[in-house]
Amino acid sequence: MALIEIDDLHVTFDAKGRHVHAVRGVSLAVAARASYGLVGESGSGKSTILRAICGMAPVTGGEIRIDGRAIPARRDRAFARRVQMVFQDPYASLHPRHTIDRTLGEPLRIHGVARGTERGRRILRALEDVGLDPAFRFRFPHQLSGGQRQRVAIARALMLEPEILLLDEPTSALDASVQAEALNLLSRLRAERGLTFLMVSHDLAVIDHMCDRLTVMKEGRAVEALDHAQLARHDMKADYTRELFAATTERIAAAE
Amino acid sequence: MTGWRAWLLDPAPRSPLQARLGQAWLGWLRLSRNPLALIGLLIIVALLVAAALAPLLATHDPYVQNLAGRLQPPLSPDHWLGTDEFGRDIWSRLVYGARITLYIVALVTVTAPVVGLIIGTVSGYFGGIVDTVLMRLTDIFLAFPRLILALAFVAALGPGVENAVLAIALTAWPPYARVARAETLTVRGADYIAAIRLQGAGSGRIIFGHVAPMCLPSVIVRVTLDMAGIILTAAGLGFLGLGAQPPLPEWGLMISSGRKFLFEQWWVATMPGLAIFIVSLGFNLLGDGLRDVLDPRGSSK
Repeated sequence: MALIEIDDLHVTFDAKGRHVHAVRGVSLAVAARASYGLVGESGSGKSTILRAICGMAPVTGGEIRIDGRAIPARRDRAFARRVQMVFQDPYASLHPRHTIDRTLGEPLRIHGVARGTERGRRILRALEDVGLDPAFRFRFPHQLSGGQRQRVAIARALMLEPEILLLDEPTSALDASVQAEALNLLSRLRAERGLTFLMVSHDLAVIDHMCDRLTVMKEGRAVEALDHAQLARHDMKADYTRELFAATTERIAAAE
Repeated sequence: MTGWRAWLLDPAPRSPLQARLGQAWLGWLRLSRNPLALIGLLIIVALLVAAALAPLLATHDPYVQNLAGRLQPPLSPDHWLGTDEFGRDIWSRLVYGARITLYIVALVTVTAPVVGLIIGTVSGYFGGIVDTVLMRLTDIFLAFPRLILALAFVAALGPGVENAVLAIALTAWPPYARVARAETLTVRGADYIAAIRLQGAGSGRIIFGHVAPMCLPSVIVRVTLDMAGIILTAAGLGFLGLGAQPPLPEWGLMISSGRKFLFEQWWVATMPGLAIFIVSLGFNLLGDGLRDVLDPRGSSK
């Protein structure tokens, strides 16, 4: 059975009397320990799906289930221990006035786990796991580079040892060279900890590198679902997917 | 570079304390580049010293009357700022008056901004009906002129320094609530707030641990800039006979009692007036300097 199941999801934002139907009946299923990609251009509703899972977007229809059970309307602490998210912009997702130590320790404090010296050990281990020097522990985010910040954000998401990690364009704000490092870090952590990824990107190359299955989205609808092998064989049915794929290969060719 | 400076500026602090102190040191370096702010700080420090060492600095007992030596001009032997209508030494009264001024300032600072910060962050964070109710309440308090409302409170509660402070605090919090709310509205949609909510944090922890620290700099700047107004209001209440009561050496009260001799013996009212002016100026200069240091919009980029 799939770990995350989304059934006919609708999300409608109410912006000053205007209804914006951001997600229009998307269904997908992510198996445990799989890595699933959502790809599409900006405004296609892919990030909204992640936000809907976290309770940050108004779900107006359909159902989201984790482990076969509908997730509670109020995302509680038990939910926080299973599902965590890494945000797109590492410059906005870390509290500017908290040290890295405080940022990483806060989840432990909220859940009352690992008190005293054990908390310090957990924080140091988390830094080590994402490849950051222990010297970073008491720095402030503004003393770190974008790539380092995103490592901290990944470490924070993993502090509670969740099984599901939602990744909202985790590398799009980073330089190309740092992007690859961050993606490899995520792949390694997934392999080590048996995590389940649901990853959003506008970059088909990133999704192709990271994910076993993917759904192509356009204007709030799922255009096509593919697995890795189909993508490799260029075995796609929808024209839009083909366009997207062609655009990506052209860009990679141009870069090389 | 000396050892402690290297320790403060260590790019890899080894404890939260060192990290905080390092940031504070950088703030101090920024502040010390602003000569006007330093003058302000110097005035405030002088006020603190005067209040702490009043018995040592005063040349006379501020309460002892000497009717033979009343209304002596400044620079007269034994009384370098002159004496008032009861022959009390004005310099000694000013020095002891610094204690009262500081007491008022301290009491207002621990009440009004705290209340304003709590109301503003709660209002901004929850929004909706909570926001509407709290902000309309704030509007009601804002609609009254501060001195008039303070007058009404003091009239109801009776005159005295504590009641004057209470009256000032009750009328001083709404601007802080407004500032804190505005700051909260810009912060509450930030990814780092979404992230901590996603970690399962409750509203109390988010508001006081994550939102309030972002509002604090603007509120602190606002407090130092308001301090002059607070001292003036306290002096005004003293002047009207509704704040400190005679024979306390409160500066506003001293101006009020010197009013009668303003044309012949100008120094009786002028000296405490100068003291109020200098201290208010000090807080304003420091406030301007702090804004440059603390304001996240001005300094982080």
